[in-house]
Amino acid sequence: MDFSEAAKRISRKFSEKGTDIDPTKIESKLRRLVIEFGVQPSEAERSVTNELAKEFNLPAAGMGGSGKSTSAAEPKKIADVAPGEWVTIEGRIVALSAPASPAIAQSGIIADDSGGIRFVAWAKSNAPAMTMGSWYKIESAVVDEFKGIASLKIHSGTSVKESAADRALIPATVPIINLHTGVGSVRAKVIQEWDATHDRMLQSGLMGDETGTIKFVIWKEAGKDKLAVGSVYNIFYALVDEFNGRLSLNLNTATIMQDDGDIAVSGGDVAVRGAIVHMAPGSGIIKRCPVEGCNRALSRQNYCPVHEIQPKFIYDLRIKGWLDDGEKTHNILLQREVVESLTGITLDAAKEIAENNPLGMDEVFLRMRDAVLGRYIICHGREIDSRILVNTCERLMYESREHTALLNRAGGA
Amino acid sequence: MSTNPRDLGRREGAFEREPARRVFAAELRECRYQFRDGEDEKSPTFVLLPTGERCNRIFLVGTLTEKQRQGDQNIFYRGRVVDPSGTFFVMAGSYQPEAMQQIAKIDTPAFVAVIGKPNLYQTPDGAFLVSVRVESITVVDKETRDLWVLDTATRTLDRVEMMAKGTSPDVIKAKEQYPGIDVAVFRKTAYDALAQIKI
Repeated sequence: MDFSEAAKRISRKFSEKGTDIDPTKIESKLRRLVIEFGVQPSEAERSVTNELAKEFNLPAAGMGGSGKSTSAAEPKKIADVAPGEWVTIEGRIVALSAPASPAIAQSGIIADDSGGIRFVAWAKSNAPAMTMGSWYKIESAVVDEFKGIASLKIHSGTSVKESAADRALIPATVPIINLHTGVGSVRAKVIQEWDATHDRMLQSGLMGDETGTIKFVIWKEAGKDKLAVGSVYNIFYALVDEFNGRLSLNLNTATIMQDDGDIAVSGGDVAVRGAIVHMAPGSGIIKRCPVEGCNRALSRQNYCPVHEIQPKFIYDLRIKGWLDDGEKTHNILLQREVVESLTGITLDAAKEIAENNPLGMDEVFLRMRDAVLGRYIICHGREIDSRILVNTCERLMYESREHTALLNRAGGA
Repeated sequence: MSTNPRDLGRREGAFEREPARRVFAAELRECRYQFRDGEDEKSPTFVLLPTGERCNRIFLVGTLTEKQRQGDQNIFYRGRVVDPSGTFFVMAGSYQPEAMQQIAKIDTPAFVAVIGKPNLYQTPDGAFLVSVRVESITVVDKETRDLWVLDTATRTLDRVEMMAKGTSPDVIKAKEQYPGIDVAVFRKTAYDALAQIKI
């Protein structure tokens, strides 16, 4: 514990009230409590403050002017809390979600000016039911981690009081690239809408801002609406989850407001040039699951991991591979139109080859490999989780200007 | 604040593929130092280029002038791929069945693009030999060959310039390992290679 820091803090509170106390005296009191008596530092700060208040005949509560307690349980900024801590915070309930288990009385998000955190109030805690939009002071709650995300636990030792504070709270949005797991607010544009992969899913897709893109999902729930592709939204207090090292936004808890502005989603837009150094298995002509909203690639035996055998598959073309510029190797994924233009083999031609050739689909793979491997290309696309989804690509052309410039560079020794 | 686990950035993808370096035959021929990065059995091995870059994989385009099938039990192919500065020795054995089948189908001479791993050998009489174990070899056109010469000249000149600044660990290691080589010769290699492309 930094005694002088705490001593100054206490001294300042008293000087605001017109009483000057020597900080060294406060410090020695704190030191004694903590070192000799093993008192928790926060508790020591509290008891020293109270002791001095009594000594100078000042009311222990109500100091500092704004009705805040002067005790050691001074509310902590939500952004500063870390798992493993016992904390007191003051914040506004910005989201309430349906409890996932009967052991939970309430769960949701509480926020202050610094940020938001998920909370869970155990049924056993007998905490008062909190209402959406109200401010509460929560004392002695525990911060722990669930699936790597900090969460505030309200247990039977926690005191929950409705707080006098009643102000608007305008959360600061952060650039997508700076999001981390927990709770986050962004201003972003919906750029893609994906087919739902689950019955309970209302919408999923991709949204982006100037710094990057992120997957989002909205689960079916009363009062939830889909977002419009191409529109910009201010999204406050979404849950930021992580799966397989990638982040995604769950918007069910979020307050969403459409925004009239526009965002140039430049993040993730990349152009890379290099040589194709590998074409991975699973490239060429593939079969996809025909079940609506599935579209998964099937195995050779037409087996979909979810919908099992699907004899009425749909053919598609793709190339998964590596594009190498000599410094870095980029994982690339080319979709059908790009494959057709790069290899000169259309889907129909590929079907023809696959169905009338002893090697079947392998023959398409081999022809495409021979057509693209070792070739210099430039790819334009979007980088998502270190893979480039290629929108367009062209073969690089030999430029005599470049040749001349290089001759000059090499000769200019 | 920095101790707060929520402040840690996004996790990096665990796997990064080794890039394929661009190097002329004349420079690769000079390699004498090979090392393993790490103690693990699966740690990659690297050949250190005289211009101070480690390579685990290279990409080259040239003319396959000769190929030869060798071995009875363990069949493998050897080939010579010629670039404007010299010759690469490439091989594909039964551990690279795809590469072996690819090379088997190619009629010499042909422009080929090769992706492979360089290996340093010492012959019984003490001479060093760098050969490239082929991962993939495909027939390409002359334009691809010319693009490769431009690309490789650019990378070679970049490395020669980096050697002059001399700060990265690999640059320092190269200076230790190749005290007799003046990297300025590779600038000339690049110039000569470029000069062979008709304007």
